[in-house]
Amino acid sequence: MTTQENQFDSIALLHGTLDLLILKTLALGPCHGQGVARAIQRRSEEVFLVDHGSLYVALQRLEDKGWLRAEWGVSENNRRARFYRLTAKGREQLVEKTSDWRRLTRAMGLILDAGNGPQGEEA
Amino acid sequence: MFRRKRSATDFAEDIRAHLELEAEELRREGLSEEEARWKARREFGNVCAAEERFYLKGRWGGLDKFFRGLRFGFRSLRQSPGFAATAILTLGLGIGANTAVFSVMNAVLLKSLPVADPDRLVYLRTSNPPRGTGTIDSNETFSYPVYDALRKQSGTLSPVMAYVPLSGSKVAVRYGAEPEEAEGEMVSGTFFSVLGVSLPRGRGFSQQDEADHAPITVISYNYWTRRFARDPGVLGKTLFVNGVGTTIVGVAAEGFEGVEAGMSTDFWLPLQNRPELNAYGNPLDDGKNYIADPKWWCLRLIARLAPGATRAQAVAQAQGVFQAAAYVGLGSPMAGEKPPVLNIVDAKNFPGYDAQYGSPLRMLMAMVGLVLLIALANVVMLLLARNAARQREFRVRQALGAGRGELFRQLLIESLILVTAGGALAWAFAEMATRLLGQWAEIESSLAPDRTVLLFTLGVLALAGLLFGLAPLRVALAGGAELALKTSAATSNADAGKSRVGRITVALQMTLCVVLLVGGGLLIRTLRNLENTPLGMKVDGLVVFGVKPNFTSIPEGIAFYQNLMNQLRILPGVESVSVTEERLGSWWSDNNDMMVDGRLPDVANGTSRTVRSNVVGPEFFNTLGVPVLSGRDFADSDTAASPHVGIINEEFAKRFLPNRNPLGHTIGTDDGRYTMTIVGVVKDHKYRSIDEEPIPMAWYMYAQIPMVGPMHVEMRVHGAPLAILPSARKVVQEMDPNLPLIKPMTQRAQFDTTISRQVLFARLAGFFGLLAVVLVATGLYGTLAYRVSMRTAEIGVRMALGARRGQVVWMILKDSLVLTAAGVVMGVPLAMLVGRALASSLYGVKPMDAASYLAAVAAVATVALAASAVPAARAASVDPMRALRTE
Repeated sequence: MTTQENQFDSIALLHGTLDLLILKTLALGPCHGQGVARAIQRRSEEVFLVDHGSLYVALQRLEDKGWLRAEWGVSENNRRARFYRLTAKGREQLVEKTSDWRRLTRAMGLILDAGNGPQGEEA
Repeated sequence: MFRRKRSATDFAEDIRAHLELEAEELRREGLSEEEARWKARREFGNVCAAEERFYLKGRWGGLDKFFRGLRFGFRSLRQSPGFAATAILTLGLGIGANTAVFSVMNAVLLKSLPVADPDRLVYLRTSNPPRGTGTIDSNETFSYPVYDALRKQSGTLSPVMAYVPLSGSKVAVRYGAEPEEAEGEMVSGTFFSVLGVSLPRGRGFSQQDEADHAPITVISYNYWTRRFARDPGVLGKTLFVNGVGTTIVGVAAEGFEGVEAGMSTDFWLPLQNRPELNAYGNPLDDGKNYIADPKWWCLRLIARLAPGATRAQAVAQAQGVFQAAAYVGLGSPMAGEKPPVLNIVDAKNFPGYDAQYGSPLRMLMAMVGLVLLIALANVVMLLLARNAARQREFRVRQALGAGRGELFRQLLIESLILVTAGGALAWAFAEMATRLLGQWAEIESSLAPDRTVLLFTLGVLALAGLLFGLAPLRVALAGGAELALKTSAATSNADAGKSRVGRITVALQMTLCVVLLVGGGLLIRTLRNLENTPLGMKVDGLVVFGVKPNFTSIPEGIAFYQNLMNQLRILPGVESVSVTEERLGSWWSDNNDMMVDGRLPDVANGTSRTVRSNVVGPEFFNTLGVPVLSGRDFADSDTAASPHVGIINEEFAKRFLPNRNPLGHTIGTDDGRYTMTIVGVVKDHKYRSIDEEPIPMAWYMYAQIPMVGPMHVEMRVHGAPLAILPSARKVVQEMDPNLPLIKPMTQRAQFDTTISRQVLFARLAGFFGLLAVVLVATGLYGTLAYRVSMRTAEIGVRMALGARRGQVVWMILKDSLVLTAAGVVMGVPLAMLVGRALASSLYGVKPMDAASYLAAVAAVATVALAASAVPAARAASVDPMRALRTE
C-alpha cells in the first residue's frame, strides 16, 4: 500500500527542486507562504512560476519531515498569516540538497556539452 | 501515519491568508480591488485540488478507500436488513455447526497425546491370551509376569510401562473428613519420566518407588484445580485411597489425564502390592492380587520405540521374551494351542476413541459438510440475486465515473462484512454447541477449540469469502454504462430470471436436503425405538449406588452386606433393597460357559453356549420388578450354610433345558467346582444395555459363593428416588467412614447411559436435517421470490395478453415442482447409499425404511410448495398496468 506522499516522490526531480527553493528562501529568514512564492518568482527573474497549490502541499510535507516549523503570526501589513521557519534539520538538508543539486547540474552540463567537444570523431 | 498534526481548516485558512496577502500586494501594484482578488485567485490555481491533496497527504490511500468502502458497505447492507440477516445467520449456522463437530473430531480423533514425542509411543497388543486366563480385554491386557519380563529386556522396545486402574469406574478416596470418589490408576515408576510428562509442582515416581510400592500419589492438574482449588499446600498432605494413606508428592502437567481414550485420571500411584489396592478394585482371587496371579491379564502396556527402530524390528526382538513370559505360572501350552503373538499399535491418537466415536463422528462431519454446502450455495444465490437487482445502480454509478475495479472492490468489501459477521456468529455458536456436545457424549477430556480448530474455521471462512468474491465478478465483467441507461427494467432483467446456474443450485440443494432428511429420519426412528424399548422391569422408583468396603474374610463381607441391607430396608420410604455385583445398564457383564446337570449343554452347530451371569442378593427380582415366572426369588434364608440355589431366565430355559421344567435341575461353573440348584425362572429383561438381544442368563446368590467384593445396592423407594440418598449415605458412613456412595443415580439414568451415544447422534442428525430444511426453504424462497420479481414485467405482459391468474400461479409452481422432482430423483439413490452406511447405527429400523424415505420426500415437497406459494400469489396479483408501467 503506497501513500499519497510516495506518489509525489516518484517524480522526485520537480519536487526536489521546489523543496530546495523553499529551503533556500527560508534560509534568509522566516516567511509566510505568499512571501515565499513571491520571493522565488522574483529571484528567478520570473522564470519559475510557482504553482501555489503545490507550494502549500510542499510546505506541509517539509513541516511533516521536521525541516520547517510554522506558527501563526502577523504580517508587516497587519494581516494574520502562517509563518514558516527553517529548523536545524532543515538547514542541514539545505546544505546537503544544494551540493546534490550542484553535482546534478555539473553532470548534466558535462553530458550536454559533450557533443560540442573534441571527441566527436566517429562521424 | 494516522496522526494528523494539522487540521484541514487550518490548511484552508493558510491558503485564504495567502490569497488576501497576494490581493493586497497586487492592489499596491495598482490593480483595482476586484481585479486584484480575481488575479490572486487565478494565480493560485485550483484551491480545492490543493486542499484535497492536503487531505490525502500522509494517509494510507488504499486503507482510506477501504474504510470508505466499509462505511458504504454497511450503509448498503443496512438498506436491505432482511438480506443481511439471512446471509449472516445462514453463514453462522452453517460454519458454526462445522466448527463444533470439527472441534469434537479434533479433540477425539486428531489430537495427539499430550506427551513428549508421541510418534514413538506404542501400545502393546496380543493376538490372544493363553488358555485358562482371565482378561479385561482379550487383545489389550497382559499379566504381571509378562510386564515384568518385557520391562527387564533391553531391546528397541523399551522401557515398557504398565498402567491399570484401581477400579472399573471410580475409587473411594478421602482427603480430610468427607469420603468421595475419583479415578485412580497404578502405574510403572518410569511412567512420567519416559512419557515426558512434566510435573510443574512436586515430583513424579522413580523405579525405586515402584519396587518399594511406595504409598505416594501424583494428582492431575484438573483434579488439583477441581478438588483443591490449586492449593500449593496440598503437596505432602495425605490422600486416603480405599482407606490406605498415600502422600501427595506432585501435580502433573496441565492437560495430561492419562494415556487412554475418554478417561480423565485424577491421580496416579506407583504399582501397589496390597489387597485394598488390587487392580480394578477386584477382591483377591484365591488370595492372590494382580502381581501374584499370572492368570489374570489385566495390565495395559505402553512403550517407547528406540530412535531409528522400526515397529517390526521392535516386535521381533521382544516376541521371544513375550511368548516365554506368557506361560509363566500356566504350565506349558497344550498341543495345538495357538501361542499369543505380540503386536504394537501407535499410541499417538488415542486409538480407543476411533473405535468408539470414529464412524458416527465422520458421519456427522459429512452431514454438517452438506449443510455447509447448502448454506454457502444459499448465500451465493442471495448475493447473485441482490447484485442482479442492483444492476442498474451499478451502471448508473459507472456512468457517473466509478471504475469497474471500484465496483468490484465495493462488492468484495460487502462480502467481507458478511463473512466476518457470519464468522463471529459461527464461533459463538460453535463454542456453545461444542460444550453441549461434550456433555452429551460424556467425553471427559477437554474439547476447548484449539489452534487447529481456529485454522479450520478460518479456512472455511476464507473459502466462503472467495466464493462470495466470485459472485460479484460477473457484475464487474458485465456491460458498460451506456447499456444500463438505455435498457429498461423489463428487458435488462429478463434473462436474469432464467439463470440456469440458479436452477441447478436449487435442484442440488433439494438433493442434499433429501439425503439429510432420510439420514436424520432413520436415526430419529432409531432413537424412538431405543427410548421405547421395554426393559422388562419396573425401572421407575429404582435407585442404585456402589459401595466398596474393605474386609479380611468372606463371612465378614457377607455380614457387611446383610447388615447394610437390613439397615437400608428400615429407612422410611424404602420398599425393598438388594445387592448385585455387576450394575445393570453399565455394560459390565460376566460371560462364561455353564454346566447343566453336570455337563456342557448340547447346542446346535455354531451357536453360542455363553451364559451371562451375575451375583445378586435376596429379593433381587422383587426389587427390580422382574416377574418370576416359576419358582421363587432369592431370600434371606439362602445362606452359606443352606443348599446352593440359582435362578435362570426364560432364554436359558428355552436354550439349554427345552421342554422340561427347569426347577430342580443343577447348573454350575464350567470347571465343575461350584454347582447350584435352579429354584426360579424369571422373565427375560435387559441387563447390560437397552439395545441388547435376549441371552441366556443365570444368577448366583452372593452369600453362597466363595468370593465377595464391591457390590451395587439397588433400592426401590416411594417418591423421588434420589431423595433417599442422603439417608442412605448416612447409613453407609456409620458402618465405615471411608465409604462414599459410588455413582449414585436412578436405574433409569443408568440404562440411558447405554444409549447416550446413539441418542446424541440421532438428535444431532435430526437437528442438522432440520437445519438443512430451513436453509433450503429460505434459499428456495429467496430464489423463487427473486425470479418472480425479475419477471414482473413479463407476467404483466402475459396477463395483459389474456393469461389467467391460475395460469400464472401454475407457471411459477410448475417451476419449483420440476426442481423438486429433479432433487428427489437424484436424492433418493444417494440417500440409499447413506442409509446403508448408517446401518450399524440403526436399531429396529431397516436402512431401506420406506416411511423415512416418503417422509423426507414429502417434507422437501412441502417446503418447495410453501416457499413457492408466496411468490406465486404475488405474481398472480400483479396488476398488468402497473407491471407494464415499471418502465
